[in-house]
Amino acid sequence: MQATLPTTPSFDRAAERARVQRERRRTAMIDVLVTLGTIALALLVGFLVMLIVGKDPILAYSSLLGGPLSRTNRTGRWIEDATTLIILGLSVSIPFRARQFSLGAQGQMFMAAMIAAVIAIYVPMPPLVAVLLPLAAAMLAGFLVGLLPGLMKAYLNANEIVSTLMLNAVVVLLYDFLLTNVFTPPGSQSLRSEAIQAGSMLARFTTLLGVNLGRANLAVLFAAILVVAVWALLNRTPFGYEIRTIGANEKFARYGGINTRRAIALSFAIGGAIAAVAGVHLVLGVHQRLIPGIAAGLGFEGIVVALLARNNPLLIPITGLFYSYLRVGGDIMEQEAAVGTEIVLVIQAVIILLLTAQVLVNYVKSRSRPVRET
Amino acid sequence: MPTASDSAAAPLIEMRNITKIYPNGVLADNDVSFEVRAGEIHALVGENGAGKSTLMKILYGMERPTSGQIYLRGAPVTIHTPHEAIALGIGMVHQNFMLVPSFTVAENIVLGTEPLRGAFVDKRAAVAATASLAQQYGLNVDPEAVVDVVPVGMRQRVEILKALYRGADVLILDEPTAVLTPQETHELFAAIRQLVNAGKTVIFISHKLREVMEISDRISVMRDARMVGTIDKRNADEHLLAKMMVGREVFLNIAKPPVQRGPVVLKVRDLEYATEAGVEALKHVSFNVYAGEIFGIAGVEGNGQTELVEVIAGLRAPLGGVIELEGKSIAGLPPRGVRQAGVAHIPEDRLTNGVALESSIQENLIVDRYEREPFTRGGFLRPSEVARNGEVLIEQYAIRTPDGALPVGSLSGGNMQKVVVARELSSRPKLLIAAQPTRGVDIGATEFMHEQLVKARNAGVAILLVSADLSEVMSLSDRLAVMHAGRIVAIFPTTNGLTEEEVGLYMLGTKTMTQAEIERNW
Repeated sequence: MQATLPTTPSFDRAAERARVQRERRRTAMIDVLVTLGTIALALLVGFLVMLIVGKDPILAYSSLLGGPLSRTNRTGRWIEDATTLIILGLSVSIPFRARQFSLGAQGQMFMAAMIAAVIAIYVPMPPLVAVLLPLAAAMLAGFLVGLLPGLMKAYLNANEIVSTLMLNAVVVLLYDFLLTNVFTPPGSQSLRSEAIQAGSMLARFTTLLGVNLGRANLAVLFAAILVVAVWALLNRTPFGYEIRTIGANEKFARYGGINTRRAIALSFAIGGAIAAVAGVHLVLGVHQRLIPGIAAGLGFEGIVVALLARNNPLLIPITGLFYSYLRVGGDIMEQEAAVGTEIVLVIQAVIILLLTAQVLVNYVKSRSRPVRET
Repeated sequence: MPTASDSAAAPLIEMRNITKIYPNGVLADNDVSFEVRAGEIHALVGENGAGKSTLMKILYGMERPTSGQIYLRGAPVTIHTPHEAIALGIGMVHQNFMLVPSFTVAENIVLGTEPLRGAFVDKRAAVAATASLAQQYGLNVDPEAVVDVVPVGMRQRVEILKALYRGADVLILDEPTAVLTPQETHELFAAIRQLVNAGKTVIFISHKLREVMEISDRISVMRDARMVGTIDKRNADEHLLAKMMVGREVFLNIAKPPVQRGPVVLKVRDLEYATEAGVEALKHVSFNVYAGEIFGIAGVEGNGQTELVEVIAGLRAPLGGVIELEGKSIAGLPPRGVRQAGVAHIPEDRLTNGVALESSIQENLIVDRYEREPFTRGGFLRPSEVARNGEVLIEQYAIRTPDGALPVGSLSGGNMQKVVVARELSSRPKLLIAAQPTRGVDIGATEFMHEQLVKARNAGVAILLVSADLSEVMSLSDRLAVMHAGRIVAIFPTTNGLTEEEVGLYMLGTKTMTQAEIERNW
């Protein structure tokens, strides 16, 4: 026979570790470069779309890319929008990490807005309490609106996509009904509630800093606190361990002794409580009253933000800022370059599509590891 | 330019200096060279994770090599997709069959290259083509049966026919016998010989040395991503191959000191269970497991063993009966309650449900204890403790990984197995349930598993061993029960002097002990 028998090569752990870490760093760097490349490519595609529809692409692009920073009030719009989107992204990231596709942020936000507004309009309160009480009540409401489909999924195996979407419809229609018939004062010219009491209003940066930053307000702090809190919840608590383990392999989690039903139901509910903070931001900070469609469509934008960040709470501020920049820039482009909303949406969609595709590519790559031969 | 005579002398397939590094940094193949001659049965053997499947996936175009070159009949080729591999006459039959369950055998075989009549698939032509192909190669299939309902052995023949239908000259069979009964294996080998007689070439991936010695002409051995060597069968024997695969002397016999039986740890009486579909899976099951013994349960798979294990482990709720651990009832408790009572469980599907592939090794090692001290304190998880626990167990159980923070999915199958065993044994159980502990496992891992079970037994743990591998369960067990159709049909107080044939009669249900005899041996 030709083969000689070598002894088992000793496994040099330190060297192996260094090699794996080098490889990881290299992969991470490639990831960043690919992401930047993707954004550039997406902008190029948008540019071509613009050329085809015969608009002035240079003007349009300078509005899209420079718009949000061109005036302070526009920057304020960006901050305001980003605050909502970041909070919503954090909210959906929790059930998403447990592989539960809760789409209930929309309803949770509307319910929270209603509860916060009712308290902030009708219950006289001392300062600070006037903010904290509506906030707490709204979060409890969001928690319960989330808990319902969570329990239905965990204990009855009801499809969460269907149940959360249906519940959204119920809550949003309830909101419309109550706004029209209860909250709008009699004799009012337009469909809107009274303003909330002054003590409940979240201070706006425009007043605080003396610079016109539009309606951007102190709820930014809520977003910042939530980033850290959600990260800690997922990575530094036993509940977070349960969520992540269920997301990785639900059967394994159950076999290992995790109460999977409880954890799944709670992931919906906690997501709901966080989405409620976004609703509070809209009522106490942005509009300072209830208006029709106060958070229309926003719930689904939160999903985009979370997916772009791969449900990593530390990346959500970045993707939230990025995505709301595009949204605000798109609006400005629409005004300044007279580009129709459709084109703006197309360009936004192309950018998001390409980025999501890249996320998918990475996802597939990370799954196609050489698992094992059995 | 190679001349005609050159290419005739060249091997059919030559893979030269193949290296494959996956994006996550795992080195699957390290400078591997491999050649296959036309018309031979070439076995590719190695432990789980040695790199043999990756090598074959590269040949079949499912993975691209990081470096290296493939030659076909002496000419360099690049194979980027399975489609290109098929065009070059290379076909592969995967371990997990890739068939459409709701289609018939014939429809699956012609899928993608259907004979057409007008715009429609010509089903009659498909059936005829399948039948003649099956006839030609002695691969017996029913062309009109729906794949969903045909037995595993036939599905495999369908896969082989599918490859042949697309013109494969070289067939790669990835662990084809893993899913087969001995009888089906026998038929498969006859078919392989017929294929080779018809001029085909077969690459046979396996780690079952007995089969390799039976079927192959030449054998290539891989270990740790490298090619150890290629030898002719006539120069090889099982012992030598085992040494080449594992890299050291291997001891396949289990040394076991005499049993030191302690008190009853697990008491099961009249246990009843029915599946959701209403099938009675457990009927009046009763037995004891004592501290310091291995109590084996033999039986043909599907006779209630899986249900028994999962009911005791708390994964399924019993319909009735008693399960007591050291006198306390654990029947109907959730998995956490059962574990906290002192039960550890090595599940039969441990590579899918005994680990979470995307989670880190460290986190996999705490799934049964994360909520307790020292891992959680004051409501917060302590990563330093999680990491420390990981390091200790990685060291103690020789789990081969550069870093405990890597996902379990980066480990080889044998090492994943160790993660499960390390976690379960380090919980200091009173009762260890080991379900099919060496199913789908290679030599090194089998040896490891047996050692660990005997070690735990010697330390006084009560062990409930369920295995469909009769020789394994007979050599490991101190006492042996046999299950048939949801009942315990025999309990032998010792395995000494017991023959496989004798136990086999009980497994098939042809013999049953009387209730009195069984109770005497509880």
